[in-house]
Amino acid sequence: MFDIRINEHNDVILSGRFDAAQVEKAKAVFDQIKETTSVDFAELDYISSAGLGILMATQKRLKDTGQKLILKKVSGHIRDVFRIARFDLIFDLE
Amino acid sequence: MAPLRKHFTRDLDSLGAVFDLLALFATQEELDTSSQHDLALALDELFTNMVKYQPANRNDIEIELRAEQETVTVKLVDRDVDKFDLTAKQDPYLGRSVKKRAPGGLGIYLTKRVVDDVQYHYGDRTSTITLIKKFRRRHV
Repeated sequence: MFDIRINEHNDVILSGRFDAAQVEKAKAVFDQIKETTSVDFAELDYISSAGLGILMATQKRLKDTGQKLILKKVSGHIRDVFRIARFDLIFDLE
Repeated sequence: MAPLRKHFTRDLDSLGAVFDLLALFATQEELDTSSQHDLALALDELFTNMVKYQPANRNDIEIELRAEQETVTVKLVDRDVDKFDLTAKQDPYLGRSVKKRAPGGLGIYLTKRVVDDVQYHYGDRTSTITLIKKFRRRHV
């Protein structure tokens, strides 16, 4: 079960499994982001290239206006996936 | 143990059932957690591609999971499709420029990186993708 919400600090909170079946749900939230925003991965169990694509498209759009996504609390297998995709080169990982 | 084999409706909503089959297999074969994660990612990426690029095809997609002493073999069989040899696909750009990055090809690249071997066979309009992954059993 995938979920995406924005908390009281305007951080995006992801949880569950972020696969291709969840793209539309995630895109509806990420498309609304206009300023530098933190994305919290603490409760996310899994991400595929479909999820990486949403993050990458949002980062591209934000960088055009000097803004960015900051990826927080990335651990375990998801950190391994980020390492393979070389997300460390295009995102701040905290 | 005997291999697990199942047919899945060509739909992204089938991904949950694909993960369930892998979880059953992982329990049956005492697969280590890291290998299970890697196989979940590879299966997800390939199944998703089969759904996305052959939407008009009404055939199910067949998945078979088989464990031997130290390796898992995964087969995905897709019938009545055009040839697409993923092993010949060029790696995507993964450099510092976010502008140059494109989502296309990333799933196949991840798949190649998380398993030990990827093989492709095409015949009688059927694509068969075989993944080989070395693993450790949890109790060892």
